Amino acid sequence: MSMKSLFALLLSRFTDPSIWRTASSQAEQIRSVGNGFLAAAAAMFFLVVGLTIFITVKFGRKRSGEGEPKQISGNRKLEIVMVCVPLLLVVFFFFWSMRTMSAVMPPAGHHKADVIITGHQWWWQAEYTSSGVATANEIHLPVGKSLLLKLKAADVIHDWWVPALGAKMDMIPGSDNYLWVTIEKPGVYVGTCSEFCGEQHAWMRIRVVAQTQDNFNKWLQSHSTDAAEPTDSLARAGATLFMKASCSSCHRIKGQDANGLQGPDLTHFASRKTMLSGIMANTPTNVRQWLRDPQKVKPGAHMPRFIFNRDSLNELTAYLTQLK
Amino acid sequence: MTQIGAERVEMENKLMIKLVVGTEAMFFLALIMVFVYFSLAPGFRQLQIAELDLRSTGLFSLLLFSSSFTYWRAEHSYNKGNIKKLKLWLLVTIVLGLAFLFGQGKEYVRLLHDHVNLGANTFGTSFFTLTGFHGLHVVIGLLVIGIAICLAAAGDFDNKASTLIGIIGIYWHFVDIIWAVVFFVVYVIPHIH
Amino acid sequence: MSSRSELNIPEPKHSIPGMGVSNNQGLLQWISSVDHKQIGIMYLWLSMVFLVIGGIEIMLVRMQLAVPNNHLLGPEAYNQLFTMHGTTMIFFVLTPAIFGFATYLVPLMIGANDMAFPRLNALSFWMTFFGGFLLYFSFLAGGAPDAGWFNYAPLNQYNYSSSPGINYYCSGLLLSGIGTVTASVNFIVTILKYRVKDMGLKQMPLFVWMILINSFLVLAAFPSLNAALVMVLLDRQLHAHFFNMAGGGSALLWQHLFWLFGHPEVYILILPIFGIFSEIFPVFSRKPIFGYGFVVASGMAIALLAFGVWVHHMFATGLGNTINNFFAASSLLIGVPTGVKVFNWLATMWGGSIRFSVSMLFGIAFLIEFTIGGLSGVSFAIVPIDWQLTDTYYVVAHLHYVFIGGSLFGLLSGLFYWFPKISGRVLDEKMGRWFFWLFVTGFNTTFLVQHALGAMGMARRVYTYPDLPGWGILNLISTIGGFLMAIAVGLLIYLLVRSVRTAPLASDDPWDANTLEWTTSSPPALQNFKQVIPVKSTRPYRDYKRPDDTDWSRKGGDGK
Repeated sequence: MSMKSLFALLLSRFTDPSIWRTASSQAEQIRSVGNGFLAAAAAMFFLVVGLTIFITVKFGRKRSGEGEPKQISGNRKLEIVMVCVPLLLVVFFFFWSMRTMSAVMPPAGHHKADVIITGHQWWWQAEYTSSGVATANEIHLPVGKSLLLKLKAADVIHDWWVPALGAKMDMIPGSDNYLWVTIEKPGVYVGTCSEFCGEQHAWMRIRVVAQTQDNFNKWLQSHSTDAAEPTDSLARAGATLFMKASCSSCHRIKGQDANGLQGPDLTHFASRKTMLSGIMANTPTNVRQWLRDPQKVKPGAHMPRFIFNRDSLNELTAYLTQLK
Repeated sequence: MTQIGAERVEMENKLMIKLVVGTEAMFFLALIMVFVYFSLAPGFRQLQIAELDLRSTGLFSLLLFSSSFTYWRAEHSYNKGNIKKLKLWLLVTIVLGLAFLFGQGKEYVRLLHDHVNLGANTFGTSFFTLTGFHGLHVVIGLLVIGIAICLAAAGDFDNKASTLIGIIGIYWHFVDIIWAVVFFVVYVIPHIH
Repeated sequence: MSSRSELNIPEPKHSIPGMGVSNNQGLLQWISSVDHKQIGIMYLWLSMVFLVIGGIEIMLVRMQLAVPNNHLLGPEAYNQLFTMHGTTMIFFVLTPAIFGFATYLVPLMIGANDMAFPRLNALSFWMTFFGGFLLYFSFLAGGAPDAGWFNYAPLNQYNYSSSPGINYYCSGLLLSGIGTVTASVNFIVTILKYRVKDMGLKQMPLFVWMILINSFLVLAAFPSLNAALVMVLLDRQLHAHFFNMAGGGSALLWQHLFWLFGHPEVYILILPIFGIFSEIFPVFSRKPIFGYGFVVASGMAIALLAFGVWVHHMFATGLGNTINNFFAASSLLIGVPTGVKVFNWLATMWGGSIRFSVSMLFGIAFLIEFTIGGLSGVSFAIVPIDWQLTDTYYVVAHLHYVFIGGSLFGLLSGLFYWFPKISGRVLDEKMGRWFFWLFVTGFNTTFLVQHALGAMGMARRVYTYPDLPGWGILNLISTIGGFLMAIAVGLLIYLLVRSVRTAPLASDDPWDANTLEWTTSSPPALQNFKQVIPVKSTRPYRDYKRPDDTDWSRKGGDGK
């Protein structure tokens, strides 16, 4: 392996995800003003460090001697330069910032949002306005299209942030915020809630699955269908239990008698790779563990603990894991 | 204490109370801004007009404003060395202040009767907080003026060394000015079209 | 010192009976004291105690974060700890330390024998003390506050935080906030009315100038916090609807009120530090401050601008580009007078004869650390960068570079500088150097990597994190740095306690300094001064010691 590729590998290990691994045109524009600032800041920093080192070496007492140095208390010209140079720099960055802002975040105006994303303690709800499809935590978006996200909060303030996709935006209860995003390449981009929102703020992670328009349409198609009817008896028993044990009063499963809105939509739960906003992989074992004692897996989560016996746990797990 | 020393103390104490009043003004500014912020929401104006009694509170406000005048007379009497008149004017000030509080109390009772309270809506929340804090300042002012009357009765002001009367004055006028602003924002503005 | 001219030394109105600094009435004498020196020392010890408490809290936090998916602390405990750490460090470590130095030094630097209102001074201290006590009582009362030090609505509402912690947060901060305000009133009156007769405003030491400006900032900024705290209490206790959306309240209202206080607050914590360094750089460079007028004027500019920048904490709340642009401009602007001071201090050192005492070492390190913190601060004024980096570990790194690399380094520098005056004993320079290097290394190890963590997508205030590439190792480095800092602080406390008891006695003027506090004994007697030397420039003591080379006789000197 050449030095260069080794370096690239090391770099990628530390920059993925990051604000430098941009995947949207908005993130790209923010990156360029960020890099511009980094260059100016580095110049300023090395100027101060250089001067500090030079002065401490040159004017230390050992060199300058014991006598009193010349008593200079100011220099009007130098002071004016000291103020004007940074002033020019900040004016320059102000205009760069202003230009980037209007490019990255133009007013939403009368545009219709493509996706409505709502922050809950502690999960994300996504509704696709054109098709009525609802999902949670793993949010599929098409590439190559300028998308308008409408951001809302159900309880406290949350914040939508996927570094690769650019700006973060708060979700504030009682008001709507908007965010534009034009994803450039397919891939999975992780993000996180970025405003402290209570006990499980740490486990409010985002997975954005960016797909080509074709694949996205397929995904949307498959998710606009009703939930899969359970085929084996175990899962069928689980379905009955789900409706009976008041799961259905908080969760929605389309096509079933479950229309709760407090918790995530579970219609196609099994098609998601992770569960509980990124805390663990979506496997039967994990689902079972969660159902057994939610407070142990995600302390503080608003899912109550139901005392299920072993059979019930198996039935519910079987039902949930076949909701592709 | 020398004459120069006394003047210095007076200047220090006056500066102190002016700073206190300044920082209090910032406190009220925050409360007033919050009231104004909530008042921009739909429905708030209507509540203001429907629930608040402009005429009655206006009358009681006049009493409070006139207490500034009577306090000024008290200060004047004090500077002239007329302790008897000082006591009289201070007493009149207290009576006017109490009358204002009575008016406030009447307004509160009526509102509470109408189920407008601190927890009713943003109008109740911001109205009671703003006027309540002002009322608290009136109460504090009255207590301090009461103490001043007691001191005057005890003969503490027989020579003119104390700065207390002047200092209370600055505070009391401040309480009046704040009320003028609060009254305008809370009671008058909704009636301006 | 027979040639000292008799001057009218401003005195408190009444003499204070039986309050010698070194009499033996024990603790009672401290508790009942109204002497500014004793109150100043109590402020400093209070700050030190809370530094240890806040430090223990954050070490637990850093241990939890040392590795990904850690289960050392649960989220509930973690959230209380980081909230208490931030609240403690800002309101009960940095603030009392600054007020402690100011309470101790301002009267001495202006040639006065006490503050204008000694009893009010004691009241201010005890308000701060009991404010801190009340905040910590929450641990016993059923749970500490857990909504972060800026306590955002609606998380601060009863339905999202039902433990009494936030009630104690509000009442504790209200109490200490009122104490801070009354102390500031006292400073302003003292500085404006109690200066020795021939010290004009233009001869005032820069530390005193910065305390004066700072006090006005406090008077204007704290009421906003106090009002907001009262509102939260009303919301929680009496079901008011200030920040409660269900009743028509507003979540953003809290942010406006809080940051209208909060941003001036960060200048409240740095302006006095600028003052401290403007005393220290000239003394250890043997030169006058470069640009006295500029330092004062820029302090005033910062104080005024400080009230017009609060929305830069809210760029990601969706207020719209117009509002954001306005506050971006003001925030970029305030960076200039703040940052340019670094060049003032560099120019002060230029051509000097620098003595590398521990105090000066902290000064030199400060120049570099504060530049890092200042530059990362400017990046938040560039809104698109803020949109990416706000509320991440990048912010955590930034604020620690200004609060530690700025404020704390300044306080430590001041501690090493004034310790001989305050205690009458020498602080061991050799061990001080160990402390310096350990602390600076630990500090940079802890926080430098956090810039990267933020840019790599790590949000702040998370009790644990997934094992993403690089996150584990960088967090581990940060935790190791934290331990280095903890060891350094332990060393400092040992050094202080040992020096107070057994170190050799210090002379009255160990640094060949410039200002009036060094003309009196170390430690000063109950009555600070019997006589004060003439004040004709900003460096009266130097003028006095070098009558053939005075500032006021030199052309273009500060005395004019």
